Amino acid sequence: MKKFDAVRVRKTILDMAFAGSTVHIGCAFSIVELLAVLYRNHLNFDAKDPHAAHRDYMVLSKGHGVMAQYACLHEIGWLSDEEMSTYFGNGTRLKGLADAHVPGVEVTAGSLGHGLSVGVGLALGAKMNKTEQMCYALVGDGELNEGTIWEASLFAAQFKLDNLVVIVDVNGFQAMGTTDEVISLGDIEAKFRAFDFEAVSIDGHDEAAIDRAYRDFKASKNGKPKALIAKTVKGKGVSFMEHDNIWHYTRLNPQSYEAAITELGERA
Amino acid sequence: MRDAFSNALVAAAKKDPKVLLLTGDHGYALFDPFRKACPDQYINCGIAEQNMVGVAAGLAKAGFKPVVYGLAAFVPIRVLEQIKIDVCYENLPVTFIGDGAGVVYAQLGTSHQSTEDIAALRGVPQISIYSPGDRFELTACAEHIVRNPGPAYMRMGKADLGDVHRGPIEGWSHGDLIPVTNTGAPYLFIGTGSGLKMAQKAADALGNADVVSAPCLKPFPAKSLRELAKGREAIVTFEEHSIYGGLGGVVAETLMGQYLGTFVRVGIQDQFSSLCGNYSFLMESHGLSSEAVERQIREALNASVQLQD
Repeated sequence: MKKFDAVRVRKTILDMAFAGSTVHIGCAFSIVELLAVLYRNHLNFDAKDPHAAHRDYMVLSKGHGVMAQYACLHEIGWLSDEEMSTYFGNGTRLKGLADAHVPGVEVTAGSLGHGLSVGVGLALGAKMNKTEQMCYALVGDGELNEGTIWEASLFAAQFKLDNLVVIVDVNGFQAMGTTDEVISLGDIEAKFRAFDFEAVSIDGHDEAAIDRAYRDFKASKNGKPKALIAKTVKGKGVSFMEHDNIWHYTRLNPQSYEAAITELGERA
Repeated sequence: MRDAFSNALVAAAKKDPKVLLLTGDHGYALFDPFRKACPDQYINCGIAEQNMVGVAAGLAKAGFKPVVYGLAAFVPIRVLEQIKIDVCYENLPVTFIGDGAGVVYAQLGTSHQSTEDIAALRGVPQISIYSPGDRFELTACAEHIVRNPGPAYMRMGKADLGDVHRGPIEGWSHGDLIPVTNTGAPYLFIGTGSGLKMAQKAADALGNADVVSAPCLKPFPAKSLRELAKGREAIVTFEEHSIYGGLGGVVAETLMGQYLGTFVRVGIQDQFSSLCGNYSFLMESHGLSSEAVERQIREALNASVQLQD
């Protein structure tokens, strides 16, 4: 099976969520392909050194999706099987939201609207250091409610950060309902274009489309920051979780864990 | 004092190309020398302070040493969460400058005044807090920050009050309290920032007082304070900041249970500036005119004597 296989990543997420008895499963499932393709084919990192100076930056601004990132870091080998099993437990580094003390996690997120600004700083730093480093910042659609997202976007365009790719996980839900019910976002691609980004909309679970978008963005040295508007399904991969916002908050029990693992196994 | 700041910044940036100045579209004339000397190290982030602090954190992670400038009402107050999570949690070498602290922007009103910044930051781990009282202290604080990489906040308040010290401060490696006078007088007056001048005026008026400065509020030099406090009948703190959580707070916390004399906190009494007015009008309205301060201290001293009787 290939590295960063989406089904295996989802199984790892289920194992973590079940062992730690934790929430945010749907939020992690919607970004699996977006991260898996990035780590597999595009992100430049040194498997021996998460802090290598010339690494590309992967900023998970949507910190509550962190299980998906931990699963990818596990694929690289930065997180061991043993450490993965400690997720959410006492004394582990693996907290329930993205934490920059974990190797491979660039920012401490969870309070939304922080990561993109730090990512903009990293992208600007790469430009000032005259390196070819890319910075990918994954934000949630609900996170677009935060004013700092738009502050950062104005800044990124002003400083011509064409090495910045903002990945928007458009799963259509935020904590208390659909994005349309809470704070409607309208045409997200048009909004980023209006902020002078190069923007493209894709199916966020279509690995070929994701791959193509990352490749095109990396090749596009036009002075414009990039926005990948990825239409996704919250809870993607397990039928009883898909499009059901309850999996933002619900913990697995032995029955639901078995049912989910079995369904994923049938897809593998 | 502002010239000393500009000079220190230019010197640091010339010496180290990784030093960057980030401003939230503030500091027009102040940064002319910097922009002339180090144009590539100057970044105007626009009127977006929260993003500016996140950008500073990213730049620090990419190997730079950002100095983030804003009015104290915005940096650190508006951006407290970014300072906590993006910078302090990772112990990044970012220096924050909060200008116009206290009620310096007097007529502009509450949005531009800052009398809670020290209190708000003191509870955030990793960050050092400086509050220089004159240009010599400012230079010493700047050198201290350069020598000790990590998050730091320098509070710049009323800047045109003149010098307290006669010349450069040497050998200030521990951030200790700096005695202006230390004759073993019965009263110890401790000032920080513009409060140092207040302390000096009160000492001149009341007599029997030694004056010391506290340019470093965190980590607070507890040992230095305990030594200076020995044998004093009264200790008075002076600050252009709330009496909660600033110099008065930290001195009280440090001496609690070890000092039994009179203790007075001169500062802002848990209130906003309700009226417009110039700097001296506002200081007077907060009970911080020279006369009001002397009265407050005299009353406390008299009350203590009555209790002893």
